[in-house]
Amino acid sequence: MGLSEALYNFAVYQFFWIALALFAFGVVYRIGRMFALWKRPVKAPRRARGGGYLVKTFIETFLDPIIFSLKKKPHDFTFGLLLLHLFGVLPIIFLMGEHVIVWSYYFPPYWLVAKWGLWIPESMISGTLTVTTPVPPVGEMSYKFVSNIWGPLNIILNGDVLAILALIGVGGKIGMKLLEAAKREKNVRLGDIIDYTLLLGILLAGYLAARFRGDVIIYRELLALHVLFAELLLAWLPFSKYWHFVFGYWYGKIHEWWDTRYQRGA
Amino acid sequence: MASRPSPVVEEILKTVKQRVKWSGYDKQAVEKAVSKFVAAIDVVRLHYLENCVGCAACAPACPYYYVDEHYSPVNKAEYSRGVYRKKLTFAGRILGPLVGAWIPKNEKDLDRVVELVYRCTNCGHCYYACPFGIDSGSLVQGLLKIIATYSGRAPTIIDVFAELEYREAYLEIEGLMMPWNMVLKKAEEAIGKSLPLDKKGAEVLLLPWLTDAMFYPGGVIGAIKAFEAAGLDYTLPSRPWAVRPPIGVVVGRMELAKATLERIVRRAEELGVKRVVLLDGGFPYPWMRWEMPKLLGRRPNFQVVHFVEIALELVKQGRLPIEPDDTPVTWHDPCQLGRRGGVTEEPYELLRRVARNFRPLKHRGVHSICCGGGGGIGCMNPEMIAEMAKLMGLEPDALYDGEKEKKFIEETTKAWSIAVKRKIDEIRESGAKIVVTACPVCIHSISGGAKLYNLPVDVKHIAEYIGERVKLKR
Repeated sequence: MGLSEALYNFAVYQFFWIALALFAFGVVYRIGRMFALWKRPVKAPRRARGGGYLVKTFIETFLDPIIFSLKKKPHDFTFGLLLLHLFGVLPIIFLMGEHVIVWSYYFPPYWLVAKWGLWIPESMISGTLTVTTPVPPVGEMSYKFVSNIWGPLNIILNGDVLAILALIGVGGKIGMKLLEAAKREKNVRLGDIIDYTLLLGILLAGYLAARFRGDVIIYRELLALHVLFAELLLAWLPFSKYWHFVFGYWYGKIHEWWDTRYQRGA
Repeated sequence: MASRPSPVVEEILKTVKQRVKWSGYDKQAVEKAVSKFVAAIDVVRLHYLENCVGCAACAPACPYYYVDEHYSPVNKAEYSRGVYRKKLTFAGRILGPLVGAWIPKNEKDLDRVVELVYRCTNCGHCYYACPFGIDSGSLVQGLLKIIATYSGRAPTIIDVFAELEYREAYLEIEGLMMPWNMVLKKAEEAIGKSLPLDKKGAEVLLLPWLTDAMFYPGGVIGAIKAFEAAGLDYTLPSRPWAVRPPIGVVVGRMELAKATLERIVRRAEELGVKRVVLLDGGFPYPWMRWEMPKLLGRRPNFQVVHFVEIALELVKQGRLPIEPDDTPVTWHDPCQLGRRGGVTEEPYELLRRVARNFRPLKHRGVHSICCGGGGGIGCMNPEMIAEMAKLMGLEPDALYDGEKEKKFIEETTKAWSIAVKRKIDEIRESGAKIVVTACPVCIHSISGGAKLYNLPVDVKHIAEYIGERVKLKR
């Protein structure tokens, strides 16, 4: 077995489970610590506010920081939220054809995304995943065709464009962090460098693998690197700022709503 | 020239001078402070400490960010995170500064901590602006302040008042009690009869603090007039139950705060009232209404409301006859009443009913711009200190721990003068001639800011505004 194959097999079949175990340990550790510090407080009776008010403020709790960021920090809004999150990483991870197949392999109900035509192709000019993607042949074809509901939106909603947007987003965020570091801002942490570098590695390796049209060995190495980096991120996730995606964001916003809007009635 | 201080003032000053140290670095004191810091971390604060991604989206929400970008909430809170990492994370213990773990190691570090602590008003705007629901104010005021205070870096004036309140020693100081006695006398003149003082079994307890009488006597009188006009079954204390409780929290002395709140609750329960009405919409409101049950571990037998809440109820019930006003008037949301206290709708509904020319500010409710005076900053100016010293029969210098604290107070005043500007600009834009609000610090800060930036505007307490327009039957 050559290096390329060994690397690929390690990434796809072995390290995934190690990464998953580390991830699970991290989740238990972090949630466990929260439980350890939890004490039921004696609360004052909540302020009476109507159901409509609570629904409205629930939505506002999530929307307000976005609107605030758009008004007050448009550069951060553009690079951070738009490019990196909304039009970059999130649709690529969860909607791009190749990734839908991976998610469905581990979690079969996820195939609904494909069934409902929500998935997106790798490229704007072709519905194919990629000729070298090792997916089972469908009919006469050696590749799978992404048939979706997006119509002309496929010009934007495809792996190529979204990956470039995500790369610009990560690049912009790294640039901003460097500027903040130059200004000796305290909110620049070592974790930022590790996190963004890892993300950049995943995006670059994935993009290069997807665009690669040469020797299958090199393709496999690129793909193995992409998978390995992603697994590293999975293992690292509970110990890094990426935890916000799994827990921190959801807990934080729901707690804020409960504390300020539901309880106090603001 | 100040008169001679009473023995009680001298005693309190001695106590405070023993614990306040603006120079040097006391390792043992810092270690004790760090232990207190660690003990104050609960599950919610753990989220605040751990889940910040460092995006700094909160920065423009802070009034002191406009003074210096290094005063952004995330930057200030990061010092709390540093202590947390050093004490409670593996990475922090092993890798130290490489992962941002930190503990104040020298005098300069402590000076930096106290500077950051008093560049936060705990207004809570960063909480709402944060994409992750992180209350940086809680990390700065609730945690970092512990490090500052218990390492000796506490503003002498606030610590003196915390001690005065805890011991109820203000009752023995003539200069401080004068405004209280005066306001009760004037209120009796205004309603033409004796006040229902310390009446057991009344429905409502109007509970003014000493600072209410000092900063807006018209507000106290206005509230009494409103209650009389509405025919409420009310009472009020014959002497102030506190200076501005729990003032201990303003310097992070929770033990003093707890003792004061316990005393207030006990007295209100002894009177057997159903509702306690506060005039102060600053930090006493969220502490009395929301934090007190958590701190005392029990719910009191009464409900706490702000004057603006009960006034709206009375107006809605048609029990409060008011002569509507045509003057352009606006409302400034005190951060502690609105964002922290949840009273974001009631003042607007009330003013829409009683002011024909009501002009709400552009940023209001939970998005309101802070006046820059909270968190103890409002009383950290030389004029205020001189005034308070005079009332206590002290020389102003007695309320400073040397030149270093004096210089710090002067710098804080300068920083405030920049922080308040956005609020003044917004009021100017509204065209209002009267600003009504409900917090002594906001009143002082906006009045001072208006003077500084030449804005001819009258700033008053909502109870005073209502009281001036209420139709009182004699």
